[in-house]
Amino acid sequence: MTLPPLFLGRLQFTMCVAFLGLFMALALALAWLLLFFKLKAHSTGRPGWTAAYRFWVRVFALTFAMTLACGVPVLLQLGTVWAGLMGRIGNVAGPLLGFAVLAVFALKSCFLGVMLFGQRRVPEIVHTLAVLMVAVGMAVAVFWVLALVSWTQTPNGATSIDGRYQIDDWVAVVFNPSMKSALAVTALGSALAVAFLIVGVTAWQALRRPLDEGERLGFRAALLLACIALLILPAAAWKAGAVIAHYQPAKAAAAAAYWQQDDPPDAVLLGWPDATSASTLGAVSISGAAGRWLGRGADGRYLALENYSGMQPPVALTFLSLRLMMVLALVMALAAWATLLKLRRRNLDPALLPRWWLRLLAVSGGAGMLFVVAGWVFTLAGSQPYAVTHAVTQAEVLGPASARALLYGTLGYFALYGVLLSAFLAMLFHAARYGVVPVRRALRGAQ
Amino acid sequence: MIAALAASLGLDPGDPAFWMPLVFMGMLFVLIVAGTVLDGFDLGVGILTQFAPAHERGRMMALLSPWRDANEFWLLLAVGLFVAAFPFAWGAIMGNLYAPLTLMLLGVVLRSVSFEFRIRARQETKPRWLLGFWLGSLMTAFGQGMVLGRVTTNYQSLAGYHWFSLFVGLCAVAAYVLLGATWLVMRVEGDLQRRAVNWARHAIRWTAAGMVAIAVTLGLANPGIFYKWSNLAHIGPAVSTWVAMLVGFVAAEVTLARVPRQGDRFNGTPFVICVCLFILMLGGLAYSFFPYLILDEMTLWDGAAALSASRLVLAGAVVAIPLLLVFNLLAYRSVFRKERPPLPAAPRAGEAR
Repeated sequence: MTLPPLFLGRLQFTMCVAFLGLFMALALALAWLLLFFKLKAHSTGRPGWTAAYRFWVRVFALTFAMTLACGVPVLLQLGTVWAGLMGRIGNVAGPLLGFAVLAVFALKSCFLGVMLFGQRRVPEIVHTLAVLMVAVGMAVAVFWVLALVSWTQTPNGATSIDGRYQIDDWVAVVFNPSMKSALAVTALGSALAVAFLIVGVTAWQALRRPLDEGERLGFRAALLLACIALLILPAAAWKAGAVIAHYQPAKAAAAAAYWQQDDPPDAVLLGWPDATSASTLGAVSISGAAGRWLGRGADGRYLALENYSGMQPPVALTFLSLRLMMVLALVMALAAWATLLKLRRRNLDPALLPRWWLRLLAVSGGAGMLFVVAGWVFTLAGSQPYAVTHAVTQAEVLGPASARALLYGTLGYFALYGVLLSAFLAMLFHAARYGVVPVRRALRGAQ
Repeated sequence: MIAALAASLGLDPGDPAFWMPLVFMGMLFVLIVAGTVLDGFDLGVGILTQFAPAHERGRMMALLSPWRDANEFWLLLAVGLFVAAFPFAWGAIMGNLYAPLTLMLLGVVLRSVSFEFRIRARQETKPRWLLGFWLGSLMTAFGQGMVLGRVTTNYQSLAGYHWFSLFVGLCAVAAYVLLGATWLVMRVEGDLQRRAVNWARHAIRWTAAGMVAIAVTLGLANPGIFYKWSNLAHIGPAVSTWVAMLVGFVAAEVTLARVPRQGDRFNGTPFVICVCLFILMLGGLAYSFFPYLILDEMTLWDGAAALSASRLVLAGAVVAIPLLLVFNLLAYRSVFRKERPPLPAAPRAGEAR
């Protein structure tokens, strides 16, 4: 059996982007949460906040190392896998990528060393400033990455002349139609990933031993963060759906599994979209409720998948990744709000929860991370077959690499990322159980 | 020469469209040289860890530690600058390098994560991460060598050229081992130093073979370069490069042979010579290719981004680089200033620098 190079290129790129996206999200939200812990430690003087900082800064260091390492393959795959892409969009993507690299470089070389290894060497205020700058730097880097990703989804502010995009207006490029919703969804996704990670790990710890002050405070902050993020999420999703319906009607039709133009616009909650029969098997739907999230043609009729024959995104993957996001959001909302209600009069102390409840919370610890991964899969799969929506297809920019080379490359990434992910989780749980391993780094001292 | 070059492109020497790609090329060359040399000894020491006795490995990693923060960035910065400044050459070059670059990337990810995880791992799992660091270093060095081999033969796809790039990959491993070993010779003494001398003397032959092979193949596989080197106007630089490389290899061999007997003062000489050899080789390559990014197909100016985009990139670099320098200095000073923690595995104080 031989797999076509295009499929392998997509698989490899999606896998690497999703992996990078996961750790980028964790690093982003952890950086801001650590700043919050630090500021709380200053303002309240409670040693618990410092303990929470100490533990989670270790996890941040691991996620940051992963983000940095996994960013390089994605950047290079823009040349090795999608060899023709930069020839088309180089004028747009070049500066955006350059700024993202520069932001990461600045935060890493100027501030991260002080944050991770310098706490005992510099005045406390300088250290807090370093934590602030790391958080700001993370946000800036993510901003530029998202500017590029959202521009490829909804290109604006540049004109393609002889197959090369020339810039008309940088502001329009950066603040393209889907940028705001991309920022909002990414920020919320990363908040949820980190909040549920902390909630899950703390619940797991509570099952094994009595919690200390820092763990209780961390749990409280994370639970509140999750509840707030889940309040805002529906609004952000509503907006993002409207943008997709307007600018990427094929993606919207795939996400809604809307096959024929004559069909009523039902909101399909669950089901299996079957591309060969162009219908959704076992659909559970609310009749007529999806109209809001479908694009409309010039004649005012809803745009269905049949309007895009040959240029459809993979319907099942798009549909199911979005359903997975919805189910996870629902599960997280239930878990977070129920826990909040249960503990509202008990100072949000997780030790007072019944054991089965803690077990459920521990299991749901990965829900936020899975949500982020599903989000990236939905974004990338839904915009297929295009690399730049309605302008550049992935097939025309695919590089000359052979199917065999791509297959081995994909397998290599899969194996390596599997090892790294399991090592990350093993170290996280080891630290959660026995405390962080003290670091003694030559010439930089102990952290 | 500049004026003639500008005239041949039909541009004014003062025109940004003419000088901007040159400036970017210069920056890129500096980044590549710095990355090859600084990340290079890092790679070399990484490859050598598994050949060292187990009790010395921690010490070798501890020696690398203060350099890692800067070293792992050269590649990312060079790649970032390349894609931002020459987006139209990027895909044409990268697309032809899928296999070696993927090997290199897997290595880069493995070694940088292994390094960071190792210092935070518990004692029992450290050897595993060390093994990861070793494997990652090996893959990175081999991949980079294969990239060099493919670039030298201008991405031609005859079977013989693939064997050539495998050979260059092997020689690149040797070259990085040489760099790492001479760096160790400079930094340590005693048993590890004697071992490092031995490693370096083994590696130097393969390095020389690789560099000669690259120089010869560069001429034979690319008629344009052969013409350039054999042209009377270029014969001076060509001969002096060859002579300098020959002298460099002999001098490195001679100084290495004397290292254990000399005082501490000259232990750095082999490393300095090796760095010069690396710069010489990269400089020769750049000289051969100039003004092309892809030989006889795409010049710097064909590959460069549109002027408005280039301006932004240059503005970003000009604003950022001084800021980065200042903050780096401040950060290092504040970290180094007060106390000097005891080195866990290094026995003598002279190493703490």
